[in-house]
Amino acid sequence: MNRLEALERIESVTREWALVVTCGATAREMATVSRSERHLPLLDSMGLTCAVGLGVALGTTSHVGVVDGDGSLLMGFSILPTLATTRPANLTVVVLDNQQHASADGMASQAAQLDLAVACAGFGFAVDEVADGPALGRALERAVEARELRLVLARIEPGNAEGVPLLLEDPAVLASRFAAALEAPS
Amino acid sequence: MPKTSNSYLRAVADGLCDWGVEAFVYVPSSHAAPVIRDLEARGVRAVLANREEEAVGIAGGMRLAGVRAAIVMQDNGFGNALTALGTFTVAYHVGLPVVANSRGGVGEYNSMIQAISGAVPRLLEALGIPVHELSRRDPVESWRSTTSAAAELATIQHRPVVTLFDALDPAIAGAR
Ligand SMILES: Cc1ncc(C[n+]2csc(CCOP(=O)(O)OP(=O)(O)O)c2C)c(N)n1
Repeated sequence: MNRLEALERIESVTREWALVVTCGATAREMATVSRSERHLPLLDSMGLTCAVGLGVALGTTSHVGVVDGDGSLLMGFSILPTLATTRPANLTVVVLDNQQHASADGMASQAAQLDLAVACAGFGFAVDEVADGPALGRALERAVEARELRLVLARIEPGNAEGVPLLLEDPAVLASRFAAALEAPS
Repeated sequence: MPKTSNSYLRAVADGLCDWGVEAFVYVPSSHAAPVIRDLEARGVRAVLANREEEAVGIAGGMRLAGVRAAIVMQDNGFGNALTALGTFTVAYHVGLPVVANSRGGVGEYNSMIQAISGAVPRLLEALGIPVHELSRRDPVESWRSTTSAAAELATIQHRPVVTLFDALDPAIAGAR
């Protein structure tokens, strides 16, 4: 499964969710899959995806998903204990683990040398490890039914999709559309 | 023994309550602790963050969800928070009030902290983030009204706004 396939799968099973999407190529590829107002792409805030998703989840009754990268999660790693001690039941964290900073010239991340699933499980999270689209879809469905904070670690291929345009929308517009979509009962 | 509050620190908590604070995200500091404990005692939802940029993400996310959320922290943590403040709250127009105790002035007892705290107002201004400073020169009533009005400014301008309060100055630290 490459990143684009993972994002297509995520979008297809999270149409009722609010999604906070990590920066770089992930945000751009997600925008080619869907330009939903329920998506909040963080265009440059590497390391902040889980924190923003946590805040949104604490403030809404909607189900909230975070789509993070291994590099971004490692940058903001201190959010894991915060997630573990707040545990909103309406939050699911998906980490797209390609063991590299694909958006930064494919430079390796430390996830290549350690097991993020084990590290996350160490904080007491229920972690689903998946490596293909159907398993990813099932893990997301299970996450909603479980009514507890779950982490889905999706192993994806390295690299970025070809020919994906830059995402040059005004962040303020993205944020206000997202906030309005949260207000509207789904 | 927990640090005791005084009229100035209560005024900061009062100001946030006047704004209608429903939740706050904090990073512990001994001089903000009375404000943090006071808000918790008043039933305001508290979320403990490990780093200040985390607090920006969490409280900013809550603001997008319509919660009246603020940050309570110490000013030496703004170095950690700058990228998050810039790329998230400034760029995405998130109206986030941040209240922080300031360090490095008279009454300071640490040798190193002025090196970051002294630069904080200029660092924030360089990002276009308004800063309101509360000191011994401000009457206790304006500690309350400024904290509340700064939070209201953040709300109506859809931007982060920082209020710095100098709790270390002996004129404030020794107050009742
Ligand atoms: C604070 C900060 N430092 C560096 C960058 C540059 N940068 C943008 S995306 C990225 C890599 C993200 O890696 P990962 O989260 O693993 O996602 P991937 O691109 O591999 O899917 C980097 C280093 C940034 N955006 N922000």
